[in-house]
Amino acid sequence: MNLFVAAFGFGLVSMSVIAIAAVGFTMQFGITNMINLAYGEVMISSAYVAYYLNRAGISIWLGMIAGALFGAVFSFLLNRIVYAPFQRKGTSYLGMVIVSLAISLMIANLLLPIVGAFNSSYQNTGTSLVRIGSITLTTNQIAIIGLAVVVMLLVHGLLRYTKLGKAMRATSANPTLARNCGIPTQRVVDVVWMITGALCGVAGVVAAMNSDSFSVASGAALLIPIIAAAVLGGAGQPYGAMIGAVIIGLVTELSAAAWSPNYKEVVAFGILVVVMVLRPQGLLARRGAMAAAG
Amino acid sequence: MALAASLGLLAACGGTTNTPSGGGLGTGPLLVGVVAPFTGVDAALGPAYYAACLAAAPSINSNGGIGGRQVSCQQFDTRGEPADAVPAANAMIAGNSNLMAVVGCTSDEAATVAPIINRAHIPMFCMTGQTEFNKPSPALPYFHRLVPADIFDAYAMVGYALYGPGHAPYKNAALVFGNDIGSQAFVAPATNAFTKLGGKIAINQPITLGAADYRTEVTAMLATHPDVIFTEALGSAGTYLGEVKTLNGGTMIPFIGTSATIDPQWFAQVSGAVGVDTLVKNYGGVDLGYTFSGPAYTEFITNLNAAASTFADAPKYKQRGSTLHLYDGIIMTALAMTATNSADPTVYNPKIKDIANGVSGATVVSTYKDGVAALKAGKSIRFVGAGGENNFDQYNNSQSGYILVNYDAQGNEVKIGELTPAQTVTISTAGGI
Repeated sequence: MNLFVAAFGFGLVSMSVIAIAAVGFTMQFGITNMINLAYGEVMISSAYVAYYLNRAGISIWLGMIAGALFGAVFSFLLNRIVYAPFQRKGTSYLGMVIVSLAISLMIANLLLPIVGAFNSSYQNTGTSLVRIGSITLTTNQIAIIGLAVVVMLLVHGLLRYTKLGKAMRATSANPTLARNCGIPTQRVVDVVWMITGALCGVAGVVAAMNSDSFSVASGAALLIPIIAAAVLGGAGQPYGAMIGAVIIGLVTELSAAAWSPNYKEVVAFGILVVVMVLRPQGLLARRGAMAAAG
Repeated sequence: MALAASLGLLAACGGTTNTPSGGGLGTGPLLVGVVAPFTGVDAALGPAYYAACLAAAPSINSNGGIGGRQVSCQQFDTRGEPADAVPAANAMIAGNSNLMAVVGCTSDEAATVAPIINRAHIPMFCMTGQTEFNKPSPALPYFHRLVPADIFDAYAMVGYALYGPGHAPYKNAALVFGNDIGSQAFVAPATNAFTKLGGKIAINQPITLGAADYRTEVTAMLATHPDVIFTEALGSAGTYLGEVKTLNGGTMIPFIGTSATIDPQWFAQVSGAVGVDTLVKNYGGVDLGYTFSGPAYTEFITNLNAAASTFADAPKYKQRGSTLHLYDGIIMTALAMTATNSADPTVYNPKIKDIANGVSGATVVSTYKDGVAALKAGKSIRFVGAGGENNFDQYNNSQSGYILVNYDAQGNEVKIGELTPAQTVTISTAGGI
């Protein structure tokens, strides 16, 4: 029983990391219609930006801000230089997925000679333990949970209560109509890439903080639960991604406690398959992408 | 697609691909293929083997080459996946008619690539630990292994736990190995030997390599209260062991690693996660007995340092056993070609074993230069290289004894003991070999 309670606590951390990442990923898809398989590599690139700053003696929390800025700029440029030109040429949906896969491989292989195949770890991060019953978390992990809650509230506030959020939802629902209504959709898309890129950067740094060591290969591994959470919640639905993250994060840890850890991803993806069979649009999708935000 | 199919067909047809017309050593550059993981969770392995080739090539090239032919090195990335390794090996063979040898082929991919390379009649020096290559069926005459199978690594780890210096015999072990083929090869022999010699396996925990965290697994492992951890989880060791220290309230459990953990990348990864002091204090490893001295090692280290201009990390592999052995393998192949005056691998491949094991009255040489000089003087030779003596058996496996090691704070391997022949026999017998 104690192990299950402990696993629940670890699941809270996992779901927090996944939630920050999955919300960014699904917003990218919902508003720009782009399944960006390079998301994991942008995450890990941002993690390395924070790593080099951390190694230079800068606090990892400041490094996280730098990682977020890097992720924002990198994602913006990625869209402007690579994705947008392909989309303008009318590249098919599947074609864009392949393009993003190619970009993902290119980033990973460009990173390797720069950062090496070595695993890296952040230094001087808080590792003092906090015990709540059988739940044992480090101060950093508690901070990550808190950060995820703040990020989710900010995303909610952005989508629900700001002019930009309304413009984003309008662009998502019908870009042509939004443009005709005077919404600068191109600028909205640029801002979305920057916001989601920043989320991607933050997610990369917290994922690296949460894991005691990380490498270039971690990018691809991180992407799998992120996609699962996004699809489970309803592709393009930020709130769905939050729910998906909760399910994936908790189920993976609890199943590791119940059975062999080898099966934890099998169980998580088994649930995903079941949901896809029973509700192909995902848990929250109702009226198309971003509908839940309105 | 048609091109790929054609390449695959060509490769599958096999046959000797690098025989120069007219026989002899031929002309033009020669290539050593480094077939290994350069990406993926085992990406740390490939660079160690590539470094071996980068050190060996100048030893040959600066001493006249092989009949004037210069040797170069090329990476062929298997991603550590058997399925990805097959097209990589096929493409290597189909695209390079000048292959003189292949090095690498770890446990991740040896089962799929070794038969392909064998069919193409290319001598290979594999780092696989799989036991089936001890008695290959069907025979793979072009397969060579300069390191013992993983079962012997597992036995040595058991030996460290039971007879190692500086600690009372460990009796309750957690087995934490990656769930890949290579890492899991240690589990059964370690379990057999350890339990038959009075130890208990507290938990056998295969872990998914590359996972973001292992906290639930670590919590389950800690609940069994092991007094030692046997491990090889390349790429994930830092994450796992860092969490062990954290969740155990800052106290580390002693851990014993395979010979693959004697690696600069592993040291950097784990020391980054648990701290150098903790690593030095709690780590034990097993390795083959190297001297890191002598003329062969001197030339090796000189060339390895010089290779930094091509591959910046090369000098970090100065004490990596696999780097030393594969360096020797390439030099032995070059000497075999020189000795037979042939670039036809069907001719020079059998000579590799003669040069490694030596024949009666053979002159011992330690460098390519000395070997060529001795051959030109009409002598038969035995090559004793940077990795020491080799003794190939009928299946081209070369075995040697183990030493017990740990790290110093700079990441250098430090010998702290060795297993006696009697201890080795005891463990092997208990393990079933």
